[in-house]
Amino acid sequence: MTVEEIRGSVGAHNNINNNNNEIDRFPIGMRVLAVDDDPTCLKLLDGLLRKCQYQVTTTNQARTALKMLRENRNRFDLVISDVHMPDMDGFKLLELVGLEMDLPVIMLSGNSDPKLVMKGITHGACDYLVKPVRLEELRNVWQHVIRRKVESKSQSKSNNNQENRNHEGGQETGSGDQNGKVNRKRKDEDFDDYEDNGNEDDDSSTQKKPRVVWSIDLHRKFVAAVNQLGIEKAVPKRILDLMNVEGLTRENVASHLQKYRLYLKRISQQQNMVVAFGGCNDASYNMRMGSFDGPGDFRAIMGSGRISTAQLPSYSSSGMLGRLNSATGMTLHSLTSPNLIQPTHTQNLTGPVNSLNKFHPVGLPPNHQPTSLLHGIPTSFDLGQLQQNNKPNNAHIPDFNPIDQSRVFNGSNTFSTLGSDSCLNLVSSSSTFLDVPPPMSEMFHGQMPPMMADTMTSFGSNITSMPSIPLDSQSQTQSQRVAQYGKQSYGQYTSNGFSTLAAAAPPANSGGLGGPVSQSNDLICGAYNKSNGNGTVANTKLKMGSGENYLPSGFVANNGYDSLDDLMNGMMKREQDPTLTIDGEFGFDPYSFGSCI
Amino acid sequence: MDQRNQMHRHIANTRKSLFDQGYLDEQFIQLEELQDNSNPNFVEEVVTLFYRDSARFLSNLDQALEKRPLDFNKLDSLMHQFKSSSTSIGAKKVKTECTHFRNYCNARNAEGCKRTFQNVKKEYTTLRKKLEAYFQMSRQVGPIETACRSR
Repeated sequence: MTVEEIRGSVGAHNNINNNNNEIDRFPIGMRVLAVDDDPTCLKLLDGLLRKCQYQVTTTNQARTALKMLRENRNRFDLVISDVHMPDMDGFKLLELVGLEMDLPVIMLSGNSDPKLVMKGITHGACDYLVKPVRLEELRNVWQHVIRRKVESKSQSKSNNNQENRNHEGGQETGSGDQNGKVNRKRKDEDFDDYEDNGNEDDDSSTQKKPRVVWSIDLHRKFVAAVNQLGIEKAVPKRILDLMNVEGLTRENVASHLQKYRLYLKRISQQQNMVVAFGGCNDASYNMRMGSFDGPGDFRAIMGSGRISTAQLPSYSSSGMLGRLNSATGMTLHSLTSPNLIQPTHTQNLTGPVNSLNKFHPVGLPPNHQPTSLLHGIPTSFDLGQLQQNNKPNNAHIPDFNPIDQSRVFNGSNTFSTLGSDSCLNLVSSSSTFLDVPPPMSEMFHGQMPPMMADTMTSFGSNITSMPSIPLDSQSQTQSQRVAQYGKQSYGQYTSNGFSTLAAAAPPANSGGLGGPVSQSNDLICGAYNKSNGNGTVANTKLKMGSGENYLPSGFVANNGYDSLDDLMNGMMKREQDPTLTIDGEFGFDPYSFGSCI
Repeated sequence: MDQRNQMHRHIANTRKSLFDQGYLDEQFIQLEELQDNSNPNFVEEVVTLFYRDSARFLSNLDQALEKRPLDFNKLDSLMHQFKSSSTSIGAKKVKTECTHFRNYCNARNAEGCKRTFQNVKKEYTTLRKKLEAYFQMSRQVGPIETACRSR
């Protein structure tokens, strides 16, 4: 098919939904949300935008703007916001919008100070205009909308390709049709492989769909589905079926799965580096995390693709990552505990690990018995198993709380404090972490090589058997913690010990790597049997949880996933060979832990 | 007819003098450009809004200037917003005085601040009177003429 033919068909197809005229008329009718606390400026902006024939909505309150956007992000194509506002800093609004909704944002200010301009750009603004704004400048802003669409389309395209999908920007859910039909059409013209793909969702394939926002719940379902299927068998189609979410396409799942795999891979790599990782707290991360607005953060991170792994390091310790990092660093030290955990421990770890995935540095209660916390956690990430595990700690997603805190470590106590305190902290903090564990696991990895191996696997895989007490308790603690956190996060990574671990690790403190971190590490380490005696894991200040730090450090929002397969493989291997020395290979490549963050 | 023409000429002259005397700048022209059939009173609406809203800035500034010692940061911040608004409507002289004010703020010069603030208020009030007269004339003549007025 020639390009013209394709375009024609695309156009024809689009005609069903849209008028061709709309495409041609773009940027006319582009929907803009203008935010400025100064009524004079707002009115002026309104006038200018109307002159450009955009469809304008104005508000003088940033909070109102955010609310409108959250209600329906597809209602607008572009946001223009003043920097200096009384109820919310313009930069913060910028970050939130960019992360949560992935909409282009243009900053407006009376101040042309280059530092502010730089700040705007680093916070993700597409453009920075200085007042008074001229009409000509506004006439050109539609390019930002198109650019973003093209970028996201190609990103999803590559994701799809990897997944062997034929859909290209299949990020649109069925209902996401409002996002500028015009834009969609325009994009369609750019991509000429729709027709070739023979996608069954024809509508979505030929049209630009709004990006899917991976909410916590959605992600949890996703992880549950993946776990249920088993990492090797987790193919997008089946995951989609399991998730049973209306409006989600296979392409959406595929690209998300890809990211997830990268994330897991990264975690595993980090494990190796854990030792080296000195807990990098990136302030920036914190800042970023700080700005997250709860559940939106993760999604934003995932969705916006802004958070690159590279960015993670910059997160301050307050962020989940930060915590992880810190924890990692700490744990490393603490990992040197004498009890290297036996392989079994690792298994236990899996339990907690999973929960940790949630990003909470779960601090499994020490009094938990060593029973494998994770016992429910099958190496194959069998979600079902996990859930069944009546050990609450096993990363049960639903039951986090039930985890028996008591279970958690009764025996070893190594984590005693770790678990409980950190867990609690974590839990309370929130459900935000999505995937923290990864970093954690990595940490451990480095520290306790032998254990690590096991533990690591367990993290990733399911720390099902934590036989040794120290480990067990630890793992339990972790799992418990995780469980506690679990409310939200477990779901996602139940089988993924990483996240829990990761989560566990960081929580230690956002900033205080020192003590708390180790604690968290202990947790994780606990699995490893580190017996670091950190009894005071309690310190984990789980800031992470504050609901704001979604991005659990462990989880690198975007390419965090490292192959789940690796994780699984690692786990499997371990199980078979408990005595296996962990040379840091859980089947993953040795990633520096630090890099996670 | 003749009267009307005269009126038009008068309005045109008034407008021109506002520019010539530096009360208004190009931004005001932007406002005029935005005025069209769908937005027939845009300029007047924006100016009215400005005067209504900016009154609070002025009173805040007045209050802030009464305090001892002066909080220059706050003064600067208030003035920044006020200046931003003034710029939006093209109030040239007002804007200039605002800049002076901010310079004095940065220099932590209390006297300078107070003095220039008086100037700001003076220019602000003068411009308001002139614009009110101008709009009134324009309304008398009719909106169409206003829009058609050449620059």
